[in-house]
Amino acid sequence: MTWRPTPLVMTLLTVVAWAVCLAVLTARAELLFVALPLVGAMVTLNRRATVPECSASLDVSADRVFEGQTVTVTMSVHATSAVSLVVVRGPLPADTDLASGRHRAAAALRRGEAATWRYEVRCAARGAHDFGTVIVQGRDRWGLRAWERRHVAPRPVHVYPRIAPLRSLPRPAHTQTSIGDYVSPALGEGIEPGDIREFAPGDRIRQVNWRASLRLGSLHVTQRRRERNADVVLMIDTLAAAGPRHETTLDLGVRAAASLATAYLARKDRVGLINYGGTIDWVKPGSGRLQYERVADTLLKATVVFTYVTKDLGFVPPRVLPSHAIVIAVTPLLDPRFAKAALDLAARGFDVVVLAVSPVAVTRAMLKTSPLNALACRLWTLERRAALDTFRRHGLTVCEWNPSEPLERALAGVERRGLRAVAG
Amino acid sequence: MIMRLAAAGFALVAFLLPLLTARPRALVLTGLVGLLLAAIGVVTLWRWPATAAACVLLVDYAAALWLVAGPPSAVGATIFGLALLGLLQSMELGRTTRRATVDATLVRSQLLGWAGFGAGIAAGVMLLATAARGVASTIPLTVAPFLAAAGALGVLATVATMLRRSHEA
Repeated sequence: MTWRPTPLVMTLLTVVAWAVCLAVLTARAELLFVALPLVGAMVTLNRRATVPECSASLDVSADRVFEGQTVTVTMSVHATSAVSLVVVRGPLPADTDLASGRHRAAAALRRGEAATWRYEVRCAARGAHDFGTVIVQGRDRWGLRAWERRHVAPRPVHVYPRIAPLRSLPRPAHTQTSIGDYVSPALGEGIEPGDIREFAPGDRIRQVNWRASLRLGSLHVTQRRRERNADVVLMIDTLAAAGPRHETTLDLGVRAAASLATAYLARKDRVGLINYGGTIDWVKPGSGRLQYERVADTLLKATVVFTYVTKDLGFVPPRVLPSHAIVIAVTPLLDPRFAKAALDLAARGFDVVVLAVSPVAVTRAMLKTSPLNALACRLWTLERRAALDTFRRHGLTVCEWNPSEPLERALAGVERRGLRAVAG
Repeated sequence: MIMRLAAAGFALVAFLLPLLTARPRALVLTGLVGLLLAAIGVVTLWRWPATAAACVLLVDYAAALWLVAGPPSAVGATIFGLALLGLLQSMELGRTTRRATVDATLVRSQLLGWAGFGAGIAAGVMLLATAARGVASTIPLTVAPFLAAAGALGVLATVATMLRRSHEA
């Protein structure tokens, strides 16, 4: 690490040269005296000073937050030798903004002295941001020489998509064998009463329905319905997106997928994820808190990767797309390849629900209000309606979500025709 | 903010000093141009308006000295030079600490530094002026231009050496 002259040296030299020229032109010796303080300051350049030693450290209040939340960054500098001017620049990654304080700080430190600054960063968009780089710049007293050091210690902060609480969820057509929240028509162990039958050897006493036994004159037992869970696969369309930054249809879709994953996992269902786009990646179905983190970590990386190649869902292993799973396809329907993939899944016997994120409203918000734009948006809406009708004709459940409304409202209006009870 | 205020103060001193030396209306106009450039520099913290302001104010001061044609005054010129140095340095400091939380220790240390340097330079100039007054009578008139040229060469060589050393360090 070495000193380097700053542009101020050139400025001072210019003014000194100008003063000397004027002194010669006007034949006034005072102008040489004008140059004297400037030359005096530059004399310090002659000194072979060593670069001051100072160390920087950084602390971030949280490493996992949701979109819109803030983290507090604390940066400290400890000077081993005196520093006339130290400017510390803390991390402020892209897609974040300052909520309070400043991420730059300047101080003069004596030997052994330390300084600490705090600022708050609002994480506006999902993603993994690195808060590990602190840049320390130093200057000499006259601002004529400078040095710079970078302290890099990776400190990732994961910003997860916002979650909307959901109560109304599309019910799966089929359940699996593990215990969950869906009442099955099959009888067995459970809480929900199902049927009454005569006592048989092997029945437990606590199963006896005393009221029915007294009325019918012989011992009768209550049979209960089994409670099962379901496999839910969220398939998110990353082929194309529309809308303003941080509010694209993909961002909205990712938030919807995160909310659905949270709600289904809370019902003890197994949830998996498929990112269908330029690249396909997936999370095989699982349950529990850890599974939410797996799904959320994959959703963080969801981004539009443009490709002309149509990806085949046949590449997806069967354990990622289990039979009898309900597939919820979250899509803005901007790329027909995704629609084809969803229809393909339905043809393979999967229970497919299409959650169509409307790109019309988000795009209209970006456009100027004009009759032409309004007409274009109306035509687009009609085209989308026709596309959704195609899905309905193929027997898929379609849920259209206008992002200006809560997702809960869109899901509450889902009607699943031909689904009377969950099959066991 | 404090650095911008300091720069504005230094610019004002550099504007007023030529007016105290001589008072023709043309000087006010040149000075105002310099002040305007300094104001642009203070607001935007760009480097070029500060340099241009220093040069214009210097022209203003040179014109004032040329118009007055009185005996040389080393103290006034030194104060003017210090004001120019302060203007340029405070602008650079303002630029460096732009959008930063500035610790009070930094401002204090900088102000103390300027005061110390100003006092040192003033004392040096007084000593130099006294010594020059004594030596001036002994130097023959024909030798004076050669001495001045040698001095200028010496200054150039010193600055070049300083820059080279600084680059090597």
